[in-house]
Amino acid sequence: MKQRVYRILSAACLPALLLGACAEVKPWQKGDLARPEMAFDGDALAARLAQHIYFSKENASGGYGVGGGGCGCN
Amino acid sequence: MRLQLTMPPPDQTQRDTASNGPQRGAVLAAALALPGVVAAETAPTDGLIAFKYLWYHDLQPGLSRITVNSPSVYTLLPVGPSWSVEGTVIVDAISGATPRYHTAISGASRMHDDRTAGELKLTRYFRRAAIDFGVAYSGEHDYKSAAGSVGLRLSSEDNNTTLAFGTGFTSDQISSSDGKVSGETRQVNDFLAGVTQVLSASDVAKINVTHARGRGYFSDPYKEVDVRPRQRNQTAVLTQWNHAFAGDATLRTSYRYYWDTFGVNAHTLGFEYAQGLGSGWTLTPALRYYTQSAADFYFGPDYDPVLGAPFPRGYSTNPPRYSSPDQRLSAFGAVTVGLRIDKRFGAWNVDFRYDYYQQRGDWRLGGDGSTGLDPFTAHFVQLGIAKRF
Repeated sequence: MKQRVYRILSAACLPALLLGACAEVKPWQKGDLARPEMAFDGDALAARLAQHIYFSKENASGGYGVGGGGCGCN
Repeated sequence: MRLQLTMPPPDQTQRDTASNGPQRGAVLAAALALPGVVAAETAPTDGLIAFKYLWYHDLQPGLSRITVNSPSVYTLLPVGPSWSVEGTVIVDAISGATPRYHTAISGASRMHDDRTAGELKLTRYFRRAAIDFGVAYSGEHDYKSAAGSVGLRLSSEDNNTTLAFGTGFTSDQISSSDGKVSGETRQVNDFLAGVTQVLSASDVAKINVTHARGRGYFSDPYKEVDVRPRQRNQTAVLTQWNHAFAGDATLRTSYRYYWDTFGVNAHTLGFEYAQGLGSGWTLTPALRYYTQSAADFYFGPDYDPVLGAPFPRGYSTNPPRYSSPDQRLSAFGAVTVGLRIDKRFGAWNVDFRYDYYQQRGDWRLGGDGSTGLDPFTAHFVQLGIAKRF
């Protein structure tokens, strides 16, 4: 139980650490950030297929979204 | 475009002469229109239709296992200034053989199945928020799954921080083609909280925490002596960091820590390096490492002296409550090496990707891997074409 509380706390603190570490970026400085390669969900279909393959061959899943359809993948 | 453009102070304008004029206007427009990174809550102005064909094949020494041929289509449609619709349809033709326990070749179960899966997502955009509603369905002759989800995103005034929250519900119906299992069900509730943060003019990071609570049938009806607990809670913490280098290069790094009530914990580390080569070409080599501990009730290929395979040692005198000989619940490490090639022609994009994947017990990091299993290898090839409109 103690270990679980510690895990959840460390997960919750990471965003706060990140927020503290960043400088303010103005809209006109965002040219590089706008490149398609910088998007987290750049190729939605490729990401979905890769996650589906790993879901069916490994025990771990999750982190990307909620409400995905399950399957009886062998 | 609902966002107000903030003009830079004069010193900024003078410093960056290269981005003055129409060119800067274009970059600004692109930056401000980009969903998910800079201006999370602006409805997309362009539609997208993408088609992909996936060929997947896996094998182990002496046994060619599963082959999947899978065409899929994805579309994103802006609907007016504040709505969008996304739809995905995937059809899998799955055939081959899969071991009934561990990596045993003799008696491997042969199978053929077709799976149809679809997803629909509707998003409503507000000035600093977006709400999405999703439904998903996946159907095979022995497995049906239906899911619904709702999500909320909130972005800060400067668009540098986006918070995301979501919840979903999945309901599955499970049977087996040999009739051994029928009428089983599983329900999963899952939750997401995340933050996306612009760190600098060339760095953006995202952290998601997801938690899923599942109740019902988790066993594999095609594996021998496979009896799993009827509940599983899973938690994942995913960190992603994208960095833009000068010279049209991008490094995407991700790390996920995962644990569940089956006793499995897992680490996943991924790198993708996209290098623009000019004339619309982009080359993206990728590397992924995954490692997991074994489930508490996984047993290795050490069989009962009386009953023999596939029963675990001690089964004849004191059978355990839960047991599984599934390779996917063993302790192992896995490596994927991939290469993606993109070519852009105006509004069109064509892509090709090949991945080589291998799992081995002795590639496990931070513990002993399970012994006595054959390595598992998979190849995946994807061919795609997409058009913006």
